[in-house]
Amino acid sequence: MFINFFASSLGILSIVKEIALICPDRKHCRIANTFSFILYNTLIRPWLLKTEKSTNNKKKRISSSQVISLEVQHVTPYTSVFKDETKLDINYVPYRLPHRSRELSLLMEFFSFLSRTPDKMTQNILITGDVGTGKTALSQRFGANITREAKKRGISLRYIHVNCREYRGSLFLILHHIVSVFHPNFPRRGYSAEELLRFLMQILDEQEAHVVLALDEFGSLVEREGSEAVYKLTRLQETRLNKPQRISLTCILRSLEVIERLDASARSTLQSNIIHLERYSQKQLVDIINDRVILAFKPLTVPEDTVSLTAESAFSENGNARFGIELLWRAGKYADAEDMDTVTPECVRKAVSSIYAIMRKSDLTSLGLHEKLFMLGITRFFKKSERAYASLAEAEQAYAVVCEEYNVQPHTHTQLWKYLRIFSTLGVVETEVSSVGSRGRSTFISLPRIPAFELEKELSFLLRRELS
Amino acid sequence: MDVEDVFSSKLRMKVLKILILMGELNVTEIARRLSANYKTTDRHMRVLEGEGIVKHKMFGRIRLYRLNELSPKTRAVRNLIEVWEQANKQ
Repeated sequence: MFINFFASSLGILSIVKEIALICPDRKHCRIANTFSFILYNTLIRPWLLKTEKSTNNKKKRISSSQVISLEVQHVTPYTSVFKDETKLDINYVPYRLPHRSRELSLLMEFFSFLSRTPDKMTQNILITGDVGTGKTALSQRFGANITREAKKRGISLRYIHVNCREYRGSLFLILHHIVSVFHPNFPRRGYSAEELLRFLMQILDEQEAHVVLALDEFGSLVEREGSEAVYKLTRLQETRLNKPQRISLTCILRSLEVIERLDASARSTLQSNIIHLERYSQKQLVDIINDRVILAFKPLTVPEDTVSLTAESAFSENGNARFGIELLWRAGKYADAEDMDTVTPECVRKAVSSIYAIMRKSDLTSLGLHEKLFMLGITRFFKKSERAYASLAEAEQAYAVVCEEYNVQPHTHTQLWKYLRIFSTLGVVETEVSSVGSRGRSTFISLPRIPAFELEKELSFLLRRELS
Repeated sequence: MDVEDVFSSKLRMKVLKILILMGELNVTEIARRLSANYKTTDRHMRVLEGEGIVKHKMFGRIRLYRLNELSPKTRAVRNLIEVWEQANKQ
């Protein structure tokens, strides 16, 4: 009889636990949990303890380990305000782009020939706009749409998105990435960028494929390679008379200043079609954030006030929608950490104080091992010294200590100087060259925008992941 | 070549295994991954190509080798290696 009672109680308990796990909202979940708690404490636990005492000498007794295992089963299930937090990832491209539909239609119109007569022409487009105005998202959404359109018509079209900054603006590395899409193990050495471009055309001809090449952060390619690389990419077809056209370009950049650095012939092929994305207004940011809330959060977990505050914060960051989305994710995490039912404006405030929008996480991830180590050295220097500026020599010393900690051989002064230029381009540090006395010049480094503590935490995390 | 001649070399079998795993590689990379000599690897690649088990594609000076999926010999070799590996795992 005792065994039967035990089994049936256990059955009820597990049913209640299942209900708690699948219940639609936290209210029902709490009711289920409370019911199981009462059932456990009033019926099962006293009975188990009694049984343990009374059947101490019996053969089939219930051990204390079973009591412990029952107690373990009574843990409150983990609940979150998120439905799908991946929808807040910086790489996620939503199906609908609020307040960018006109630009998307324009882009589709510019490239409409690709789904009709792709062999006959190519097109070069510039997409410009400030940080967080949706340039990358627009281009990627366009890529997905045009590829789907071409597939319907039986045309082999690939949309290849390359972040030039991730490849340090090197034409060779960018082209290698594109060739790797078709031949994943294509060797990395033994040929020039020009040869690689020829190989790419050979591959496209063999596969009768067409490519829309999106060069994100186009500025870094221009900065490193100058007019020559742009000229090669845009005038590709001129050396291929009477052959099908293969590569169209969309160049994504912040401002047209970069283009002005190019020589006249390279510039003339690019400046014909420009799509400029204006900064989002606060109202537009509210719409964008509301869209993401629907995708990423459970119903009724994000109040209107929270959305407004997030939009306001994003608007104050020059209308940076990416900042707003990242803020929303962090606010959700704060709500989860404190086991709250809703994401309150206070969670947004906490998130604002912890976030640094100036530098994208992907920028940190794309740094090499020694760049990360050098950056960590600089960050630690600022954290310990509480000074506003560090000389390059001091930064080098801090880097050497970090290298010792991570057990790697430090790079030389010239290499570190190059890294410093990369950090400066990324906007993480600012450098200033000043004369000391009558001889020589010294480079002074400052970390004006990002809290050293936050940066150190992020870099340590990335390094741990990279070296493990 | 007879089957025993083709399969008599340990390196040739390793080459086939690596091509099944990686899909497409140049000779330098195959030699590097197998810690073998370039010339020896190249010689084995030519034997396998002669038998129609692998084929290559040229990009300038670069020769990329891959399995010739149209050949029944390749299908047999792939099947043998895959079944063998699977059995070893079990």
